[in-house]
This record gives sequence, C-alpha cells and structure tokens, in this order.
Amino acid sequence: MTRTRVIPAAMCVAAAWSSSGCHPGGEGKAEEPPPNTVAAPIDSATAALNATREPGMLAVVQAVPVKGWTGPDGKPFEVALRSAAPEAGHSRQFGTTDLPIALRSRAAAISQYPCTSCHQGRKVVLANERISDAHNNIKPVHPDRTGAVCSTCHSADDVELLTLKSGERATLDESYRLCGQCHFPEAGAWAGGGHGKRLDGWQGRRVVMACTDCHDPHKPAVPVRIPFRAPQLERTRGQP
Amino acid sequence: MTADSDGRIPGGPESATLLQKPVDRRAALSILAGGLAAGAQAVSACTPLSAETDQEREIKQLAWQEYIKGNYRFMTEAERAETIARLERLAALERGLDVTIQSTGAQPGVVFGYAFNISKCKGYRQCVEACINENNLDRKAGTQYIRIFEIENGVLELDNDDAIYQHEVPAEGHFYLGTQCFQCADPPCVKVCPVGATWQEPDGITVVDYDWCIGCRYCMAACPYWARRFNWGTPEVPVEEVDPNQHYLGNRARMRGRVEKCTFCIHRSRQGRLPACAEACPTGARVFGNLLDPDSEIRWVLANKRVFRLKEDLKTEPRFWYFSD
Repeated sequence: MTRTRVIPAAMCVAAAWSSSGCHPGGEGKAEEPPPNTVAAPIDSATAALNATREPGMLAVVQAVPVKGWTGPDGKPFEVALRSAAPEAGHSRQFGTTDLPIALRSRAAAISQYPCTSCHQGRKVVLANERISDAHNNIKPVHPDRTGAVCSTCHSADDVELLTLKSGERATLDESYRLCGQCHFPEAGAWAGGGHGKRLDGWQGRRVVMACTDCHDPHKPAVPVRIPFRAPQLERTRGQP
Repeated sequence: MTADSDGRIPGGPESATLLQKPVDRRAALSILAGGLAAGAQAVSACTPLSAETDQEREIKQLAWQEYIKGNYRFMTEAERAETIARLERLAALERGLDVTIQSTGAQPGVVFGYAFNISKCKGYRQCVEACINENNLDRKAGTQYIRIFEIENGVLELDNDDAIYQHEVPAEGHFYLGTQCFQCADPPCVKVCPVGATWQEPDGITVVDYDWCIGCRYCMAACPYWARRFNWGTPEVPVEEVDPNQHYLGNRARMRGRVEKCTFCIHRSRQGRLPACAEACPTGARVFGNLLDPDSEIRWVLANKRVFRLKEDLKTEPRFWYFSD
C-alpha cells in the first residue's frame, strides 16, 4: 500500500458544495457555497490527510474554519469536509443516512502530533523499548476494561492510522469507523443526527463532531463537575 | 351634528382635522408630539435651571414616537424600518450601545422543531448560561428561560423533581430533562392574549411584541409548561454584556411590566444558525432543525427514536420532543 496514492477526481466532487479549484484534482462546477460556508484553499495539512487515505475512505475535499465557534482553548475550529460518495464512508457503513457531513481534523487536537516525531519507524511500539514517561497523560480505562492493547486500535505498522477488524485502516479523523465496530447503535444515531454534536448552524453544511472530539478514546466516560448556577425562580417545583 | 364645508363631521371618530389637513388619530398625536417638543424647547430656553440638552430632547421625541406606534404584526415594512431605526438610536443615546435590530421574517418552507436527548443531558446548565448571555436576560432578577430538572431514574413526575440542584453532575441514578418554551402548534398563550401582543409566526415560533404587551399575564396563566417570564422590574444588563445582535421579536431590550419568552433564538435560527442553547450544549443532547426538511436531523430523530412530549393530552402539540438513546 503506497501512502502517496493519487485521489480519484470523482471522490473530490461528490460533495455538493465543493467548488472548483478546492483540490488539485477537483473538477466540480463552480457554484455558490451555502451562506455559512467559508471557502478556503486546500492546505498542506489537508493534502497530507489525503495522502494517508486508503481505499474505501472518504477523501478530504476542503479544510474550512467554522464561523462563530472556537474549541475549548479558544482555537479556531477546523473541519475537513469529506465527500459523501454513496459507495464509501459512513453511508455504507451504517446504512442510515447519506447526508454529506463535515468532520474535524484531529491532528490539531492531538497534543503530541505528529506521532512520527517519536515513532520514527511508524511502529506503534518503539523499537528501542518503551520510554517510561511516554504517554503518561493517557489513562487507559477503556482498553483495560475491554482487554485491548495499543495495536487493537492503532495500526501496528503505521502509528498515525487506526486499524479496523476487517483489516482496513482509517485515519485518526475517522474515529467513527473504529468506534462504530462495537458501538454500532451510537454510530448509527450519530450518522443520522441523534447522537453527537452539530456545529455551524442547522442549515446548509452539516458539521458534526466525531466520536473522539467529545470522548477521550482511552477514557470515554463523561466527567462530573459543578453546573452553572441554579435559577432563582418562584416555581422550580410543582409544574413542568 | 352638521358637516363642515368639506363634508367632514367635526370631531368624528375616524378622522380629525389638524392644521386644515385630514389626518388619522396616530398621525395627529405624532404631529402634536412635535409641537409639544417645540413648546418644551421654548419654555426651557427661558428657564436655565431645567436646561435640556439636544440629546435629552431627542430621546423624549423618540420615546414619544415609540409610545404611539402600532402593533408590529400589522406594521408596513416602512413602519418597521422606522421603529427599528428609532430603537437603535435610543439604545445609542441612552446607553451608548451599537445594536443591530433585525426584522427578519420566517424562511419559506421552514417550521422549527427541537428534540432533547434525556440520555445525553448531564445537567451542566451550559445551555442556561448561553441563553442568558444571548437573549439579554435580566441579570438582576436572574431570569432564565430554560429549566433543567434532575429526575430519579425510572420516574417522570415533574411535580416532585428538582430544577434547583446545585451539586456535582451527573448525579448517580438520575437523569436530566430540560424545559423551555415548546413553541406549541396550538399555543394556549396566544388564544388568551386580550390585545394580540403575542402570536405564532409562520415558522412556528411564538413571539411577543413587547411594546404592545400590557402585562396582564394571562398568557403565563394559560401556558401549561410555565414557559413565560414576567419583568417585575426594568431588566438590567450591564453594557459590556449586551448582545448587540438583536431581533425586534426576540432579544431586544425589554421593559418593565412585559412578558417575554424563549423564541428559539429567533435572531439566530432565522439566519440558519443554531439557537444558543443548542450551540452551547457540550454533550449534543439538543437537536434542532427544520421539521419540513425530510433530510434534517430532527426528522431523523422523530423517525428513528422513541419520542414523547410533555402533557400531550392537552393537545397543545408542542414542537419539542424528548428522546433517549
């Protein structure tokens, strides 16, 4: 499997809003983008994402910022628009919807990205033994409970890819393909709109958060915390 | 009663003659207002102790013109533009605010619907915080449109459930259910309004004309969901916290003695954006969309999830559904 395969042009134009020139191979006709879409030229990070794409995966057609939304640290929220070709991706995977969706690029959210800065040979486990403090921020609650090891989810021969039960591999952006193997009711609801969080408006481009945007993959439970202040209302009991 | 030379009955109810020109009652009041202002100017010129600045005079004139305007629902586009210009100018004069008040109408082919996932809500009340900031809710009275109930698993008796919990959430063995205005398809609050100050828009949002409301609170008594709020005092919002993106029927400045309510953030939703509560929700428990669009997320939820509404037996047909995973 070569990592620098050329993306077929058909994959790039499937999204209704893809504009011409958004991608080197794109042949889509120029049309007005939805009002909440900000057109941006394809950048090197998106090109790098596409370079890791394998057969059956969705191609990144455009990387765009989401207006009016910033991430937890106040950073602008980038999403990777993916083509919704009916023969590929979540529509085939879950059979519930074929809506085009946009997903966030995970790379910016992973503190130690790129992985290859340490994992030189792209192997999950470093050749020269495990460094004692590496990944000590990761609490492996979920793997411990399910009896999983690193290579259950991370591709053993390429640390920047995920491995699926079918033998296929997925990019780190496509966590729904990995998580959906066991959590298929959630994945189906996510693809339809009953699970997960939508950003950037109810109209136009559908921007959703992927599994690992909310759930820490190694410790997926939602933490407890103190809520915003309670109301000082005359009627907080007694009437719905 | 005898008709004058123009054939008009003097002092007749449908018209008045002012300065020899036939004008209706409102226009006559408006002209009178100009005369009063001029008179006040002449008087104040003679009394230096009550010196009035140009700004104060303009505020008085604008406030008088605002006082005699009509119901928003029956205004022409020009009248709407005029009142919005006056309100924006008043906000600038009185508080130094640069607000934009929209009069955006409903999009054709859109009826808004809302779904709330009671499995996902963790009771953080981030939606409440966003709602207060977005809708310029009274900080002094602590007005909140949204209530989140903490409910024991296996029970649904809102009579005994707690909306004022203040401890670490999610609590063991409990789930959370949020209420707000459900934008009923057959809203009892609209039926009881004696002055027509509240009505349902074509996209399903029930709105209030704050300037037409007389504060009788019939709508609050009629609402089975306790979704409306009354301003006992003038709402106070610090200047630096005012959201300048406003809508005439939504989050513009309210007055004392008027009723207000959730409008699904009419100034956002009509521009294709999510209501502030849905955007702020950190768990994705809130699904918002167009009920008439078969591809929308809300339609997917209604088609694929077990949903219920509160007090369905009242046939108010709320456009707000609850569902669980």
